[in-house]
Amino acid sequence: MVSLTQQPSTHPLADMIHCLESGGALLPDSPDNVLEVVGVLKSYGVVLDAYSRNLIYIAEQQFLVLFPAFKYFDGEVSLKKLLRHWWHDRINYEYAEYCMKGMLWHGGGGLDDYLDSAEFSRRTEAAIQAKVGGTPMQLLHKLFSNFLPEQVRQLAYYSGLGQFWRVMSDMFIDLSDLYDQGEVQTIADVVAHIRDALVEAAALPITYAVTIKGQTYEIIPKSVGLTFLADTALPYVEAVFFRSFPFFGTVSYNAQAHQISEKPGDFSYGALFADPLPIGSAGIPPTLLMQDMRHYLPGYLHDFYMQGLRGEDDLRVKICISFQKSMFCVTTATVLGLMPHPLDTTDPVQRQENRTHLENWMDRLLTSRLADVQSE
Amino acid sequence: MSQFLIQTSWWVPGYGLIGALLTLPWSAGLVHRTGPRPAAYFNLLMTALALIHSGALLQAVWNQPPQRLLIPWLKILDLDLSFTLEISVISVGAAIVITALSFLAQFFALGYLEKDWALGRFYALMGFFEAAMSGIVLSDSLFLSYALLEMLTLSTYLLVGFWYAQPLVVTAARDAFLTKRVGDLLLLMGVLVVFTLAGSLNFSDLETWAQTANLAPLTATLLGLALIAGPTGKCAQFPLNLWLDEAMEGPNPASILRNSVVVACGAFVLIKLQPILAISPIALTALMILGTMTAIGASLVAIAQIDIKRALSHTTSAYLGLVFLAVGMQQTDLALLFLFTHAIGKALLFMSIGSVILTTNTQDLTEMGGLAGRMPATTSSFVVGTFASIGLLPLGSLWSMLEWGDSFWSSPWLVGVLLLVNGLTAFNLTRVFGLAFWGEPQIKTRRTPEVPWTMAVPMVSLVIIALLVPVMLLQWHLLPALENINLLLVLLLISSGIVGCGLGGFIYLNSGWAKPVNLVGKPIRDTLAYDFWIEKAYRLSVVLGVVQGSRLTAWLDRYVVDGMVNLVGVVSLFTGESLKYTISGQSRNYLLTVFVGVILTFIALVWSFHFPYSIAQSLFGH
Amino acid sequence: MLSTLIWAPVLGATVIAFLPQFSNSERARQAALAIAIFTLGWTVFLITQFDISNAGLQLQETLPWVEPLGLTYRLGVDGLSLPLVVMNSFLVVIAIYSSDPKINRPRLYYALFLLLGSAVAGAFLAQNLLLFFLFYELELIPLYLLIAIWGGARRGYAATKFLIYTATSGILILAAFFGLTLLTGVSTFDYAALQSQALPLGTQIILLVTLLVGFGIKIPLVPLHTWLPDAHVEASTPTSVLLAGMLLKLGTYGLLRFGLGLFPEAWRVLAPWLAAIAVVNVLYGSFVAIAQTDMKKIVAYSSVGHMGFVILASAAATPLSILAAVGQMVSHGLISALLFLLVGVVYSKTGTRDVTVLRGLLNPERGLPLIGSLMIAGVMASGGIPGMVGFVAEFVVYRSSFSVFPVQTLLCVLGTGLTAVYFLNLVNRAFFGRLPENLANLPRVYWRDRLPSVVMTVLIIFLGLQPSWLYRWSEGTSAALGRLTPSPAISHMAPLPLIETVAVNPPEIELVSTPAFENFQHSALSLE
Repeated sequence: MVSLTQQPSTHPLADMIHCLESGGALLPDSPDNVLEVVGVLKSYGVVLDAYSRNLIYIAEQQFLVLFPAFKYFDGEVSLKKLLRHWWHDRINYEYAEYCMKGMLWHGGGGLDDYLDSAEFSRRTEAAIQAKVGGTPMQLLHKLFSNFLPEQVRQLAYYSGLGQFWRVMSDMFIDLSDLYDQGEVQTIADVVAHIRDALVEAAALPITYAVTIKGQTYEIIPKSVGLTFLADTALPYVEAVFFRSFPFFGTVSYNAQAHQISEKPGDFSYGALFADPLPIGSAGIPPTLLMQDMRHYLPGYLHDFYMQGLRGEDDLRVKICISFQKSMFCVTTATVLGLMPHPLDTTDPVQRQENRTHLENWMDRLLTSRLADVQSE
Repeated sequence: MSQFLIQTSWWVPGYGLIGALLTLPWSAGLVHRTGPRPAAYFNLLMTALALIHSGALLQAVWNQPPQRLLIPWLKILDLDLSFTLEISVISVGAAIVITALSFLAQFFALGYLEKDWALGRFYALMGFFEAAMSGIVLSDSLFLSYALLEMLTLSTYLLVGFWYAQPLVVTAARDAFLTKRVGDLLLLMGVLVVFTLAGSLNFSDLETWAQTANLAPLTATLLGLALIAGPTGKCAQFPLNLWLDEAMEGPNPASILRNSVVVACGAFVLIKLQPILAISPIALTALMILGTMTAIGASLVAIAQIDIKRALSHTTSAYLGLVFLAVGMQQTDLALLFLFTHAIGKALLFMSIGSVILTTNTQDLTEMGGLAGRMPATTSSFVVGTFASIGLLPLGSLWSMLEWGDSFWSSPWLVGVLLLVNGLTAFNLTRVFGLAFWGEPQIKTRRTPEVPWTMAVPMVSLVIIALLVPVMLLQWHLLPALENINLLLVLLLISSGIVGCGLGGFIYLNSGWAKPVNLVGKPIRDTLAYDFWIEKAYRLSVVLGVVQGSRLTAWLDRYVVDGMVNLVGVVSLFTGESLKYTISGQSRNYLLTVFVGVILTFIALVWSFHFPYSIAQSLFGH
Repeated sequence: MLSTLIWAPVLGATVIAFLPQFSNSERARQAALAIAIFTLGWTVFLITQFDISNAGLQLQETLPWVEPLGLTYRLGVDGLSLPLVVMNSFLVVIAIYSSDPKINRPRLYYALFLLLGSAVAGAFLAQNLLLFFLFYELELIPLYLLIAIWGGARRGYAATKFLIYTATSGILILAAFFGLTLLTGVSTFDYAALQSQALPLGTQIILLVTLLVGFGIKIPLVPLHTWLPDAHVEASTPTSVLLAGMLLKLGTYGLLRFGLGLFPEAWRVLAPWLAAIAVVNVLYGSFVAIAQTDMKKIVAYSSVGHMGFVILASAAATPLSILAAVGQMVSHGLISALLFLLVGVVYSKTGTRDVTVLRGLLNPERGLPLIGSLMIAGVMASGGIPGMVGFVAEFVVYRSSFSVFPVQTLLCVLGTGLTAVYFLNLVNRAFFGRLPENLANLPRVYWRDRLPSVVMTVLIIFLGLQPSWLYRWSEGTSAALGRLTPSPAISHMAPLPLIETVAVNPPEIELVSTPAFENFQHSALSLE
């Protein structure tokens, strides 16, 4: 569909741009790719469901709890569950918190701005007073006046990410159901499903309230106007897909070695960039996610993996490779969803603006694993 | 009961080993479906048991004379390698410090490494580490101590190499191992000499022997120097100091132990060796020179570091330099006290910066700032750790420094060294505090919530312990009586602390002073930042020598030795022609060839035997 | 009794070689394994029959054979040979187990392995010089063929070189044996008969030097060692395991048994030279190893270095140092066998042994993590880290040699340090770091691949923690052998001015006994 009136792009990833302009995706279409992407998104959906519930539970029920020893229990503590927890036979919620910290630390979007506002401080102070008023904690709050507000900021992100993942989880499970029914057959179908779901959820409000001693305190009221797409989805993509944190297991934190950029904006350790091979090694946090997903793989995907050279031995690496593919589909959907104009517009000005939009995104993907998912 | 406790005292190191063994299903990758955290819990449990056991043991030996426990190990011919353990208040007390800090560091790691799937391996190594260290302090045998020091070397290598896929870790682990190994081998030479001369390797026997030993000065000196080398490597003293800097590539919970008790284990062995060192005045002098150089040099180097871990790790070398001085002056009790107060303060500081690193995702001091208001546990740990490490407020180090200074009161230059190190350390710690905790937040410290309770609890516990150290010292009658306090020294110490902190505060707590601060010219700064270029010096001397030497030898081996000895011509003739059959697979021909060869040899043998034999027979007329 | 160790494998080899159903490689492997395990079981039975309080030969068997030649079939075992015989039976099992299950020409392959084991056992058991020589030569044939047929690309060259070197070794040994009988005029080659003969010192020295060169090729002594790296590089893994584990020990065993045993006075004269050669071996082997990039060459040269420790202890020739030599032989046999096994797995999975190509193999999912961990254990054992058998073996070597050859011993200690350099280099390069793309698709590692190395590692750690099990068997024999040479006075060799050592009277210490330990030791050693 590249029009004769428009010059080919001169961008280093021009092929990708042309592919997107002609309705393609960042991931080539093939039956294997569809199987891998849908299968892995299905298990991701299951895991996200658990992550999301837990994040929201922590934000709402573990508000400023000093020793949240049971924060991963979602409120139901039983001996059986405790033993399973100790045996580490559980979802690794640490990974959800890791993503939350990524969003909190990198910031961006309306949520980040709101957390520095006077309204937030006022509302937080009220909640803090309700929670710690009359306890020794109050003294601590006086001494370190930023300690508890900073914790509330973190809890706001717990909640925000939880709400974001709620939508994503449902979206991926739906996708899997549609695939099972034979209605999703190509990568383009996958992308379209995700894009439509993102667009549909774009304006969902993001709010956060806690109940303390029977009274509800709104930390993020609806009136602030935070929404799903702009204030959680995009910061999430930025923080988790693109930037993330350098892994202890692969990057030296030695200040004299200068391996880590001084600008978090230059970080490129995210899901679209990370190398899947070290998954399972020491100091590679995404291992936790892959470990969680291995329990919920659909049968067809598990069989597909078993055909590999190493069978079950390198399952997590294979999951990660598929996961990365699926994340490029999600990125495609985001890119397309954010296109300023319809893809099939014939207005040259609009086409140029679309082109610029794509080129900007491709700039970010220059050093990503885009090339690797093309070949595999 | 107390007899039972003493008889089972060898369990104390055993717990750590059992913990390490229990992690095997996870660290060896046998468990796939569930995670490695049970390994961590097992180790915590085992360390807790070790702590309880050594606590009970302390009760049992309190106010008792040291008891010795003989563990037979290897007795062959005239060689008797039995281990003796010394169960005394000091050794058991040291074991308590080690197991307690190990427990706290392992607890801390629950949070610090919560996202690390190799937790099983980490805890295995920590258990191993703890076992080796508590073994060293209980050991009354130079042989056992030497063996355990080697095990420490190994576990340091593996702990530094924990994140083995990270390029700098690879070199750091290697350098840590080789540097320590150099010291260990020299120590081994010393051990061999002592063993041969004294006939025993028990420290108590050696002490008796040393009192009457009549060694030639050269022997005594060489022996002393060899024995010093091991602790020099372990305690990161010049010239074997570089590994500690590099070892900061390893995970922080291990750094907590490494900077507090691991280095102390090296010094502990040194203290045990002191009677032998005392034979040679030159060895003692060397010890003091090394100590002084490291104490002052490392203090300066620490100030030039921008990496928060390295800024602290060099002060460890500096303080251990003071311990070397104390041993050099034959003040072993003092050295022990100093090690104790240093361990508490340094462990606290390292816990604090661990949580800083995890929260800010950087180790670069120039990128930090403004953490104080938001991280109460971390901030108070750093502050208390600082005061516990310098002579200013009446926490641990002020008292140990006071004792230190008091013992050396007669040699002013030593007191000067102490004051200088105290002042420089005070300055450095204030600098770190100012850069990391004070001032305005920078982009990487913009959102810094306090760490979760798994890390905060051990930090706060250690804060409480650090605050209680003076009370403990009082209980143990280790504080000087009020009337014996050297007031001038107190004044000097506190002033040096005040000058250091004040100057540091004036520069680094002062928002008006532009950062980064350039106190000295770039050449000096770089010299200090890069540890006096010692690494480069090594690269150009020892490393180059070994590399070139090995290349030369390999070349000689390939072209000269092989060429001359193996008659290349004959071999190539064989290979070229007749042996081509091998490739075509006709090996039966070979079999035949060889068998024919053997049979021919045999016939030749029979003939050659019979012939001379008959001659001999006829000659001798049998 | 002892003959079973020799003839059971020979019988097995014949069956495997000539029965057509064994052309199925799996079946041949199982049959060979069964025979090897039977032999190992028999060896264990012999251990229970062995009396450690008896320094002399035990379980002797004598049959007349070629009387006019002085050749009798005389077997016996003592503390010097027992550990080596046991290790031989054990390593044959390991080697056969770790053989490629789909090997070409399985009947010949497994038959040769069994014959090799049998010949080596025979050499250790032979108590007649000619019989020893026969076994010593016989063992060459299977080994030569194993290298020449199942070896690597340059197997022809390596096998021929091996054959020429070791055949020369055999000729020299034979010459020395002949010289001995000729000059003493004894009409038999029986060891015991020859041991009691006395020869002039000059003659002894000539004969001993001949033996030294002969066995020196096998050990190997620098500069007679260059066949070894070539043979190792080309040999398949199981062959390397036996070559490093057992064959080299034939050299040191021969030196102790026939060199020291028959020429004690000459030994005393030559000992300083031998100690010097030991130092050269240790340092030279280590230095060359540092410059190597082929893992097998690194391990091969490390063998050159570590056999130097055996030479050092043998040269000192005190009761303790003979014991130390035996311990070091076993220790080196186990450790080098382990290292070759591990290198073999790496090679079979990655197709290369080049440490400049290999990287990141510790990767838990796509690499060889357990093999890597065992490799770390193996190199640490080789580098003398406590807790493993290498440490205690080396320490006893140093301790026993130091009083005789202090300077040489200290120089050998340096070799331990160099061991750390090259092995750390190996581990850091091949196993640490990021797994590169070209190694990202390695075949699966099965427990079958790991089991031999795991067993070896466990054994190495066990003997490291309970070294009595290593030394007990040989105490009596070592003491007897060590008393043959009056120990050279320390003052002659000592470079350190060790003036008047004051003997220590250990202070009276209240020792608390540890019943648990003693019980363990007792129960551990109550086998006899």
